[in-house]
Amino acid sequence: MSKKKWIFGVLFVMAGAVIVFAPLPVRATPPTLRTFRIEASQFAYTPAVLAVNPGDTVTIELVSTDVVHGLYLDGYGVSVTADPGQTARLTFIADKSGSFRFRCNVTCGALHPFMIGKLQVGPNTWLWRAIVLTILAALVIPILRPNLPRARAG
Amino acid sequence: MKYSEPLSRILIISGVLLVLAVPFAAQAIGAQGVIEIHARVAESGGWTPSTIRAKVGVPLHLRMTSDDVMHSFAIGQSDTPAVDVLPGQMTDVTLTFDKPGTYTYYCTRWCGPNHWRMRGTIEVTGGDSASPPPGTPPLYVTLNLDIDAAHPAAVIPVGIPEAQRGAQFADLLTTTVMSLDYYRSHSPAHAFEDLRVDPSLTSLNNSDLWDLIAYLWQSNSTPEGLAEGQRLFAQNCTACHGETGGGNGVFSANIKALAGKTPANFSDPTTMLGAAPALLQGKILRGGMGTGMPSWGPILTDQQTWNIISYLYTFQFNENSAAAGK
Amino acid sequence: MHYELTRFPLVKALLKNRWPQMLVWLVMLAGFLFAILSGFFGTPVGNRNFGIVFVWIAWWAVLILVAVPFFGRGWCSVCPIPLPGEWLQRGAIMNPPGNKPKWYNLRWPNKLRNIWLQNLTFTLVALFSSVILTTPKVTAIVLAAMIFLAIGMSMVFERRTFCRYICPVSGFIGLYAQAAPLELRVKDKQVCLTCKDKPCYNGSPAGYGCPWDVFPGGLTKNTYCGLCMECLRTCPYENIAVNTRPFSDDLAKPSTRMDEAFKAFIMLGAAMIYAGEFLGPWGSLKLAAYSVGSISWFGYLVAFLVFIFGLLPALFLGAVWIGNKLSQATAALKKSFTAFATSLVPLGLMFWVAFSLSFVLTNAAYIFSSLSDPFGWGWNLFGTAAIPWQPILTTILLPLQTLALAGGLLWTASTARKAGSEVKVSPVPVIVFSTAATVAMLGLLL
Repeated sequence: MSKKKWIFGVLFVMAGAVIVFAPLPVRATPPTLRTFRIEASQFAYTPAVLAVNPGDTVTIELVSTDVVHGLYLDGYGVSVTADPGQTARLTFIADKSGSFRFRCNVTCGALHPFMIGKLQVGPNTWLWRAIVLTILAALVIPILRPNLPRARAG
Repeated sequence: MKYSEPLSRILIISGVLLVLAVPFAAQAIGAQGVIEIHARVAESGGWTPSTIRAKVGVPLHLRMTSDDVMHSFAIGQSDTPAVDVLPGQMTDVTLTFDKPGTYTYYCTRWCGPNHWRMRGTIEVTGGDSASPPPGTPPLYVTLNLDIDAAHPAAVIPVGIPEAQRGAQFADLLTTTVMSLDYYRSHSPAHAFEDLRVDPSLTSLNNSDLWDLIAYLWQSNSTPEGLAEGQRLFAQNCTACHGETGGGNGVFSANIKALAGKTPANFSDPTTMLGAAPALLQGKILRGGMGTGMPSWGPILTDQQTWNIISYLYTFQFNENSAAAGK
Repeated sequence: MHYELTRFPLVKALLKNRWPQMLVWLVMLAGFLFAILSGFFGTPVGNRNFGIVFVWIAWWAVLILVAVPFFGRGWCSVCPIPLPGEWLQRGAIMNPPGNKPKWYNLRWPNKLRNIWLQNLTFTLVALFSSVILTTPKVTAIVLAAMIFLAIGMSMVFERRTFCRYICPVSGFIGLYAQAAPLELRVKDKQVCLTCKDKPCYNGSPAGYGCPWDVFPGGLTKNTYCGLCMECLRTCPYENIAVNTRPFSDDLAKPSTRMDEAFKAFIMLGAAMIYAGEFLGPWGSLKLAAYSVGSISWFGYLVAFLVFIFGLLPALFLGAVWIGNKLSQATAALKKSFTAFATSLVPLGLMFWVAFSLSFVLTNAAYIFSSLSDPFGWGWNLFGTAAIPWQPILTTILLPLQTLALAGGLLWTASTARKAGSEVKVSPVPVIVFSTAATVAMLGLLL
């Protein structure tokens, strides 16, 4: 590869590292108490998408509306189970930022493994990084190898 | 290169037979002396089998699994703790019966609006073959109460009566009024009317009198009883009646669609204060009549029923107990 | 860099000798039958049933994360589905071919000599996947249907027509095998030119003619070679070799086939729909996909088909058309279309890898419990029946998925460039299309 391509290549790698590892300014919001009432039914949570700020103390009130359901927060490892008629409460501090899925952890029927919701703590930084990294990946070939290769012989 | 065709055929055929034999052999071996029960939601058949036979003194071995959602197994009117019946997993339970009779087993974890229909019976024979003494009819039958008739309270309090405040007037109550029989056969509104015309209580204003009624009601329960009442209410009743007794539980819409009206609202003073404990006992024991109310007769003991009833009144009265309903 | 693995006597012996392969086949066949049995007789609760867990979690994980990306059609070489039919067809398990074929041995009709049928079977399975993946009995029916169909087809047609033309899995394994670093090729084409009998295709006392209806001498891509090693045994000139090679080697030669192009769209679209349906928070979508026969399911069906057969190809065609216009190309649009569709192969593969990583890492714990209690009957064969459900490696999931998708896009762009060189068309619009699809997939997964 030509020297110019080498420089671009190194720049790409550095850019990739920056995108992935550079600390982003965190908008400091004072931690508050957040309470969410989530209805669980076969096979969905309502609401299924929650958004809180990092540091918030989050209480989830799980209300099962048909059978026994659970809620397991992937990434935090906390969970709660609710029988219909008995609201169950889970309280935790959202000290980890990012996007976390919560899933049912009490077999509740056929689609049980796909009963999923999402908790967003702070902005979905990782998604933005991934998107920028993806666009960077898309640019590599057009920039490093803008010319089409010679057609293969035979 | 020469390969052994016969050897390969033997390997394959014996391998296939082995694989096929495994489940059948296991079933045959495992089935000795154990009854396997499959639990499904009532709409899919409930308990299979739903009738079991047993003998007095002979241990009954049960293996239970759920084919769909979380269930549990308990014996009605028994101290045996409930065991969870887990989807795709086996739970073993051994029961031994001292007395012959018909025992009801039921699910204790709500598994849909028809959860309460998930019941089966164990017919236990042998032992003392003398027939059991005839049971006494429930109080509402003895009192000739029409438990399906409307029972609006003629008078209702302003605000929530406090048993604590009513205690100060306690010694004005006669022993008749303080008796369990009086409590069980009178609604709070009826008791209020009785006490309103009592000459020794004319100095009390209506609010004080209601406080006294609240105290009277509390005196016919114990803190342990109220605690059990609350526990049983949460386990069996809140799914339809709501955690605050407002008739707005998670299945109340189902009930409305089925029966044309929502479950009873225990926080409504007009209906609740017009209901005597005997009437409530009748409703709980008998249920039914197209309202969607289950019959809890085979499931709850008498004391458990009275405890639930005591708890129900705490939706109307502030009673001095950690288990007061709000 | 092609590196011949069969130059090592041990490797060559292991591949040529029928016994190692037979032993692996026996295990796979036993597992397959056991999965069907547990589906029919075991607990109807999917996550406690061997059939569901070992097919859709264990086998799927190995297939899409290891077998296909690294070994191409490696799964096909050990798959048990064609075996009973093939043994019946040959009238033998180990014996060499006799004089007359045992059954009809009809030639597969010319009109069907493509992968359109496989596109159809995969689409059918995908449409009902919500039910298949969660209901043991239905998985058992699908597996049993596949093996019975394979047996029936072996009675009527020659070779492995089920594998080559019907099997829904075979369709995408073949497509993605082009990206794998393993291949089977002849060493010297000149030797094939002078070979009279072509026993690799026609059979010989040493073995059977290629069950995949491939002439090894003409193999330039992995797409249709099932790595069954039969030709390794029959070639009298030891001219067949199994090589390692760089990833993506076959993708440097773009495809000209529309059926393969649509297979790429089906896989790409299905991965995106599955990411939303199975891993997203939208309960109504899941219920719509599950309640087969209902109005919402028909809505799902229409949306599914329109997305995969309509929207994606149309957008892609638009990208190709723009590229054509930008380059004042002389190549026909169809040629550009199929050539560039090749670049969707690494994209689709990485989409499936990213999707499957989440699905597998979340549910892998079930493998332990269903290994010890395959039927949900309370067994504990290996002491692992009580191991509870617990997602594993959750913290590295997002980085892994990002790496897979961003890396896949880079790979796709590189492949698009090679396709562009074939048809003299700029690959940039196709790269834009692929980027948009990747961003959408990231949004669904992360």
